[in-house]
Amino acid sequence: MNKIKVLFFATIRDKAGTKSVELNIPNEMTVQALKEKLANEYPNLKDSLKAVLVSVNQEYSFDDAVIPFNAEIALFPPVSGG
Amino acid sequence: MQPSNFPTIYSITESEIDLNDLLAKITLPSTGAAAIFTGMVRGVTSRDDPHETVYLEYESYVPMAEAKMKQVADEIREKWSSVEGIAIVQRIGKLYPKTPTVLIACTAAHRDTGVFEAARYGIDRLKEIVPVWKKEVGPNGEEWIEGDYFPKAGE
Repeated sequence: MNKIKVLFFATIRDKAGTKSVELNIPNEMTVQALKEKLANEYPNLKDSLKAVLVSVNQEYSFDDAVIPFNAEIALFPPVSGG
Repeated sequence: MQPSNFPTIYSITESEIDLNDLLAKITLPSTGAAAIFTGMVRGVTSRDDPHETVYLEYESYVPMAEAKMKQVADEIREKWSSVEGIAIVQRIGKLYPKTPTVLIACTAAHRDTGVFEAARYGIDRLKEIVPVWKKEVGPNGEEWIEGDYFPKAGE
């Protein structure tokens, strides 16, 4: 198993109802599979996850990527700084 | 001076943005020009969807945001080797109209070196890839503002 930390920001955090969660996931899990797992555990997130940005260890990541061990994942909407 | 010694400042802060302090830090003996962009909270919007803003509340994924700001600075240096100093600062927290929220400043020896374009590029890229979000609070409620840019691999 792989223990990871998942952070939520902005609208995604509001919908998840929490800032972060620690999860045990299977080895070799992809970003896409993690999104599906989160959609099941946080039904409110389901619609938002269609257009979510994902970072793995603070770099943008994409559905096919395999999640490394002890990764810090973040899910958030397109950015709106400035 | 070697480019590796050129000052690069990038930070997410909850403090007031101090333009004079930042400008002093990116001014070298060889500097003769600075292009500065700053954005502030607009209290009254008339373009597109006219409305009033009471305040904006900013949040950030700080370590990633600062890493992406450094990336923006690196991209500026790749495109404009004439740029000497770079400062990129985003303020977060609850910010009221007229308050500066972001600052991008680039310095160079002369003004005709691309320094204006460099600063413009900096703010445009910050709004694409630096993980910061704002919630707008108006007289009739609040709403998260979301961008529309989806970074590609390697961004």
